[in-house]
Amino acid sequence: MLGIDTCLAEVMSIPGALDAMLVDHTSGMAVAFSSDSGVDADRSAAALTEALRATTDGLARTCPGDVVRIDDMLITTDKGHHLLRPLETLFEGPLVIYVRLDLERSNLALARHRLRSISSRLTT
Amino acid sequence: MTKLDTLLAGLARERSTGALRVGRSGTIFLSEGRVTYMECAQTPSVERLLTARGRMTETALRALRADGGCARLLQEGSITPGELQYAVLGAVLDAAFFLLPMSGTRPKFRPGEEHWLGGQWFFDVAGLVRECARRRAQLAEIWPSAEVDSLPVRPVERLPGHAVTLNRVQWEVLVRADHQATPLEVAKRIGRSGYSVLLAVRRLAAAGLLAPPMPELPKRVRGERARPPHDREAAPLPLGPPTTGDRTDLALLTRLKKALEELS
Repeated sequence: MLGIDTCLAEVMSIPGALDAMLVDHTSGMAVAFSSDSGVDADRSAAALTEALRATTDGLARTCPGDVVRIDDMLITTDKGHHLLRPLETLFEGPLVIYVRLDLERSNLALARHRLRSISSRLTT
Repeated sequence: MTKLDTLLAGLARERSTGALRVGRSGTIFLSEGRVTYMECAQTPSVERLLTARGRMTETALRALRADGGCARLLQEGSITPGELQYAVLGAVLDAAFFLLPMSGTRPKFRPGEEHWLGGQWFFDVAGLVRECARRRAQLAEIWPSAEVDSLPVRPVERLPGHAVTLNRVQWEVLVRADHQATPLEVAKRIGRSGYSVLLAVRRLAAAGLLAPPMPELPKRVRGERARPPHDREAAPLPLGPPTTGDRTDLALLTRLKKALEELS
């Protein structure tokens, strides 16, 4: 049973996590973010929302006949991994957990596993 | 800044605790100068969300509210602290979006009053105002005309193209749109935030899926001249009031002239 702040702390405790953010997908607003990251949280939240929306739209067109429901989204760049996990909550949302991981120090399988367990404790 | 903003900023400076009632439109709850909860008559409250999503019945919620409040709600485990915080956050921002621009009724502040769901999340007033402005800008970016926000949602009969991708809220809006209900009424029916429905409606409008608004029938006002139909070929209307050789007009002019002469 996690609160928003404890959830963020748990996400940051994933090995290799560089910064983390909780984003309200409807409005593209940063609900909470790890403060030491030095990025503009509002802008990056809005941009991540657009990325997730574009992915959903794109997938909806590539998988005709299927209803697309994203569990998580992974983007790997030359500098690191970006993990996004949309969560269904009581309030419409979805609430998106975002974490940026160090390329060398992180373990993707572990990170995904930890995100899954965190999200199961954040929602009922 | 609108009047309500200024009033709130003042309450925040004084670090007041209490409830600011804005007529029948809503109530803003503050704790030591920070907003803890906000209700707006036009948007669903957290209680409404809890019952609408089938998390608990209204009677159970009322019993909780009377005895134990928030602590017991979390203890009973039908909702996690994170979910409750997120729901309060969403509901307050949604209420703020519609409540803050309101003016007209004189708000009344009652010190000391608290909301039972307050204390989940603390908003500073400037942040709230900024977020509302950002949301307004976001709406305008999708579709610049605010006309669709208040008119009944009227989907087009036929798709202008071959296929279209809809998101969840857009789907729900289209299913419930009966050509009569405005976006906020639709929001109430589907139990979603007013803002999310406005977003969906503006996206539908931008995609050309909404019928153009019905032209309003011209209101006939007695005594006023009917507006001439637009015709490029027609001779332009004369400037100024129509001139006549009417006796009364002449009499008026003479009186006016006399009055002016007396002045000098």
